[in-house]
Amino acid sequence: MKVKLFVLILVGVSILSAQTPTAEEIVDRVTAIMSPENSYSKGSQTIITSSGKERVFEFESWAAEKGKSSMTRYTKPAAIRGQAFLMLNNADDIWSYFPRTKRVRKLASHAKKQKMQGSDFTYEDMGGGDVFQKKFKSTILSEETKDGDLAWKIQMIGIPDKDPPHPKIIMWVRQSDYYPVALDYYDGKDFNTKSLVLSDIQVIESFPTAMTMVMTDNKERSSTTMKTLEITYAWKPTKGFFSERNLKK
Amino acid sequence: MKHWGTLLLLPGLLLAQPEFFGYFESEASTLQIGTSNYNYGFNKFRLDVEARPNDHILIGANLTAQQYWGQTTWNMLDFIPEEIWSPYFFPDPLSSSSYFDPTFPITIPDTLFLDNVYMKVSLSNLDITIGRQQISNGVGYAWNPTDIFNFKSLLDPSYEQTGIEGLRFDYPLAYTASVSVFIQPEQEWERSAKQGWLKVNLGSFDLELTKASHIWGHPTFFSGPYLQRRSLLGASVVGEILGFGTWFEGSSFQTDDPLATGGDEEWQEYLVGLDYTFENSLYILGEYLHNDLGVAKKSDLTLWDYLGALDGSSHSLMQDYAFFYAMHPTFDYVTLSAIAFANFNDNSGAFSPIVDWNIFQDTNLSLQGSFFWGDDNTEFGLQDWGLILNATSSF
Repeated sequence: MKVKLFVLILVGVSILSAQTPTAEEIVDRVTAIMSPENSYSKGSQTIITSSGKERVFEFESWAAEKGKSSMTRYTKPAAIRGQAFLMLNNADDIWSYFPRTKRVRKLASHAKKQKMQGSDFTYEDMGGGDVFQKKFKSTILSEETKDGDLAWKIQMIGIPDKDPPHPKIIMWVRQSDYYPVALDYYDGKDFNTKSLVLSDIQVIESFPTAMTMVMTDNKERSSTTMKTLEITYAWKPTKGFFSERNLKK
Repeated sequence: MKHWGTLLLLPGLLLAQPEFFGYFESEASTLQIGTSNYNYGFNKFRLDVEARPNDHILIGANLTAQQYWGQTTWNMLDFIPEEIWSPYFFPDPLSSSSYFDPTFPITIPDTLFLDNVYMKVSLSNLDITIGRQQISNGVGYAWNPTDIFNFKSLLDPSYEQTGIEGLRFDYPLAYTASVSVFIQPEQEWERSAKQGWLKVNLGSFDLELTKASHIWGHPTFFSGPYLQRRSLLGASVVGEILGFGTWFEGSSFQTDDPLATGGDEEWQEYLVGLDYTFENSLYILGEYLHNDLGVAKKSDLTLWDYLGALDGSSHSLMQDYAFFYAMHPTFDYVTLSAIAFANFNDNSGAFSPIVDWNIFQDTNLSLQGSFFWGDDNTEFGLQDWGLILNATSSF
């Protein structure tokens, strides 16, 4: 009887461990899904401040090497038309280009915390790659339903000597396809400073893609909605695409 | 000959389905100097046109119309201490404190001109830009010791520069390195300005080496500019140290004709700067400039030095300066910022707070005050205060 019980427990544990991946495995899958090899997209960014004032921006964006290299160029509004940002090494190196002065400027790492065009997204938020894997220690907090989908609630604690972009992030990952549907960002005082919600998730060229992302600043009560207007993962960069030369085009 | 680029490029621009954009800018200013107050301003309309007939060609032009109002004729002597210019004017025998005709008038006329007109040809490994184009050199914010073409205003260092007639070649060596050459042609090759750059990315630092030769024109009081041949060897580096954005830009100049440089055949000019963004979005920037060619002691200043500084043909009047800038997006679409700069050699300077309001999408309204300090016979202390109201709307 004892042997049977032991075998049952062993089988049960094995099945459970096969069905429930570890937090690290979930984060690995999230990183893989969120980092296709290459992409080209057109998008819009609508900022709504706490007083309800609205500003709309449009941009083109290119990414390669699973988000390690990326470039964004604003096409609207007229005042910033042509402003562009080149981010290499997962946004560790950023160059900005201002067409009015025809000047390219290398930004130091502190600039990563600056808001992009006054939005609730920082340059750091836009950097892709393996930040979640390398700069955070992850654990599964619970399983819960998020917007009708069963999701894992993952806690990611920044590893101090890896210079994490946030001290703590709580991420909800949809179990059906390992796509993140919401992230809460916390500061050093454990205050939930910003929240990101990903919605209208469509499968584009085999990759699940959030066509709408809303970042809310819980301190300033402002929000920024980023909409994907057009996207392809079939785009491939030409030699030297992610360079200062192309930034100025 | 000066407008060969315009003649060459305009037909192509008009034929290639151009995009139109630009801005309208209106500015009203008041400036107090001693007991005199000056009101002046301008209305500016800039139309940018860009056309891409194919993937390899970009044709661009900027048509600028600028109309001035209020004080449009300035007496340059108002910006120079009396003790500097008085030896050049005969005293009025009827009065011990006034002179016969103490004026050096400069009139700013209304303008309508093509600021830039250029064609950029992009080949697989070479970009060639022909025509009148902006050349923005260096990593410094307030000053650029490696820039032989432009002059910046300390009250608005990031304002766009006017175009330079020339021919530019950019050749990428690798993802992170490039060589560029710019030639500003004159009637004789020897008189043409030439500058070359080698830019390399080394880890988190960008390094640039530059070499240039040009004819430098120093304004004179009674005749045309005095021309001096100069060569420059310069370097700049920008990166990060201890979390601060850090940069250096320096040049070593040489001339065979030292008359216009007080006998100096060689001199150096360099700048160091740093910036930082705090978690609360407060951005700060500081720069220090040393210019050997500037004058070290106030008592050694001459009219010649002042004319060079006011004309923009020298990067600074004296030797040692500091510049500070702080900016914070304080309210919804309202940015508060402040500029301060100081001349360490004559202990003068200015503090300039700025309120910038993005009142509508594409429309900004800004108010900038300027409060100058220092003795009345110093570079900045000569002025008392100023106010600038600016409205800009882009389309």
